[in-house]
Amino acid sequence: MNRRLAIRDLTLALGGLVSIPSWASNGWNANSLSISSSFFKTAEQNILEVIVETIIPESSTKGAKSLGVPAFLQKMLQDCYEAPVSENIKNGLSATDATAQKQFGKPFEGCNTQQKQQILLGFEKSEDTRLKEFYSLIKNLTILGYTTSEYVQTEFLHYNMAPGHYYGCVSVKK
Amino acid sequence: MANLAIDIKKQNTYDAIVIGSGISGGWAAKELCEKGLKTIVLERGRDIKHIADYPTAMKNPWDFEHRGQVPLDVRSQYPKGRAAFLREETLPFALKDGIQPFVEEKPFTWTRGYHVGGKSLMWARQTQRWSDLDFEGPKRDVFAVDWPIRYADIAPWYSHVEKFAGISGNKDGLQELPDGEFLTPIELNCVEQHLKKVLIKEYDSKRHVIQGRCAHVTDPQPIHLKQGRATCQHRNLCNRGCPYGGYFSSNASTLPWAAKTGNMTLRPFSTVHSIIFDEKLNKASGVRVVDTNTKEMIEYYAKIIFVNGSALNSNLILLNSISARFPNGLGNDSGLLGKFIAWHNYRGKISAEYEGFLDKITDGKNPSNGYVPRFRNLHSQETDFLRGYAAGVGAGRGSYSSREGIGEDLKNSLLFPKLNNHWHVSSWMMGECVPIEKNHVRLHETLKDPFGIPQLVTSAEWTDNDVKMVKDYMEQFTEMFTKAGFRNIKAVDGKSNPGSDIHEMGGVRMGHDPKTSLLNQWNALHLCKNVFVTDGACMTSTGTQNPSLTYMALTARAANYAVGEMKKKNL
Repeated sequence: MNRRLAIRDLTLALGGLVSIPSWASNGWNANSLSISSSFFKTAEQNILEVIVETIIPESSTKGAKSLGVPAFLQKMLQDCYEAPVSENIKNGLSATDATAQKQFGKPFEGCNTQQKQQILLGFEKSEDTRLKEFYSLIKNLTILGYTTSEYVQTEFLHYNMAPGHYYGCVSVKK
Repeated sequence: MANLAIDIKKQNTYDAIVIGSGISGGWAAKELCEKGLKTIVLERGRDIKHIADYPTAMKNPWDFEHRGQVPLDVRSQYPKGRAAFLREETLPFALKDGIQPFVEEKPFTWTRGYHVGGKSLMWARQTQRWSDLDFEGPKRDVFAVDWPIRYADIAPWYSHVEKFAGISGNKDGLQELPDGEFLTPIELNCVEQHLKKVLIKEYDSKRHVIQGRCAHVTDPQPIHLKQGRATCQHRNLCNRGCPYGGYFSSNASTLPWAAKTGNMTLRPFSTVHSIIFDEKLNKASGVRVVDTNTKEMIEYYAKIIFVNGSALNSNLILLNSISARFPNGLGNDSGLLGKFIAWHNYRGKISAEYEGFLDKITDGKNPSNGYVPRFRNLHSQETDFLRGYAAGVGAGRGSYSSREGIGEDLKNSLLFPKLNNHWHVSSWMMGECVPIEKNHVRLHETLKDPFGIPQLVTSAEWTDNDVKMVKDYMEQFTEMFTKAGFRNIKAVDGKSNPGSDIHEMGGVRMGHDPKTSLLNQWNALHLCKNVFVTDGACMTSTGTQNPSLTYMALTARAANYAVGEMKKKNL
């Protein structure tokens, strides 16, 4: 059930006696998020976008970039993590480009999909804990932002805010 | 000037004062207002209006900017130890740092709900009745003092509050957990039913799994519709406040009901400093309140006072109510005020897996959980520890997505989770703590809170009895889970702080004798009969049941008694 339906049902359940408070309809989207532009430099933002899209790419189903996950990551990194962590993320972003230059002689953005994946999977197995932590946090936040997006929740994960029932023992649908 | 003072006194005079608007304060307000008493309800926190003030209740996961995580600058406004529990979803009900500092002489987790509705917006909504096996506990096992009441005294009041609050449950016919006035039960799932059958067979019908009775309106009756409450939607987002009124809270139920009588005045931002004792009349005449916005001290007057500030705070208020007659706190000739603090033992937890019913799954959400009523030492002493424990138990199927890899494979794994190839089973103990004198709260000699009220010192710790009980729970549930064919059983003693259960009780206990207790059989102070304490502070012993339902019933009973006594001109 989407939120509009949930709210409609809320109104029904209460017999239409109450008006829906304003907070019920002011969800965020990528554009409404307030992100201080100075937190990431434009170049850093660009690399972050490419990394996020490499982790979960667009295909016949939507990818992380088109769902606004890069903006979500910036918001999280800006608001929820201590300075050493966000510093390590910034260092990781430049290390990503440096690694691309070293391995393939071009910026990360210019690499093909296979090369980009190879660089990131390399971080995952890296013995440099800072690189490892950098990629691990970026990946986890990307998965979090992606799987909790309205698109994934409603189109794939059967999100239903108000099931209205509990059945304790039903057969698994084949 | 004299006339002005008289006018102010008249303006601040009510028939009744209720301190606190939580689960028991809400009930006091409802009962007293319904009986025609002009009642002022004093709440130290801000107002929370039903529906309008539940800002996160209708938010979807993607509506939270940080998906639930609390930003650092916000987090820094809250006590350090609690930061891990803060979530964007429930932030509106969290208590900021510095509001009421207290001194942990020994570690104590004190969770408070300082807003209108108190912890009735944050509770687990489990509502099990006590039986005589609980009320007779202290007498049989020789600890604390004998309860001055028995099940027969409170049973009609359990019914009274259950009908109004709306309690879902089965009539299970168990002596140790009496049946009540129940709405349509929520069902146990396949694995919980399987465990139920195994326990009946393996333990000679002496151990049971039932669906926990819970304060959810599963089929609203006219009394619930009249409160403006609707059917529980099985959202399981209860801790954000329920816009449907699907579960019982003061905000959805008792307070609006009391307001409708026209007799209630609700005053938020009103921290009670102390109760005023009138030496001539030998009873309380009112309370001193600090307005938390202006820090101004204001007095309110009434014929009766209900103290429902939550267990430890009610202790604090009475301890701080000093007069020439009561230099150690109101009604405290015995010196027992603040002593025999107890709580529930939630230290033991068990998880397991079950590989049966793999063709089955649950559908929808269960706002309650399975419940194993106490089975230890029920009718006689069987173990090397006193009393026993109940336990919550729940099973669920769940699904998983591999987070390995990168790109299209990772994406497909996230978009199409697979059903787990087992059920998770978990259980948590709810043990009866035996109150001892050493576990106490008292006022700090010098430290004050921002309102000039002495800080509370908590001095309470686990006993050997508690530790033995945790061990027994882990052993017994490992055995029971093994008999049920569960695997990968992991039992842990979380060694959580006292108070982590949020069921702190006692300090102003009920009893027969003013020498050994503070309150009589009607929850009135033995030595100041127009002051009633009906929250957790009144508890002589703790039982194993989640205590809120008992507070509600004791409150309604005491309120009706108080009104009767007022009519007879005895108060």
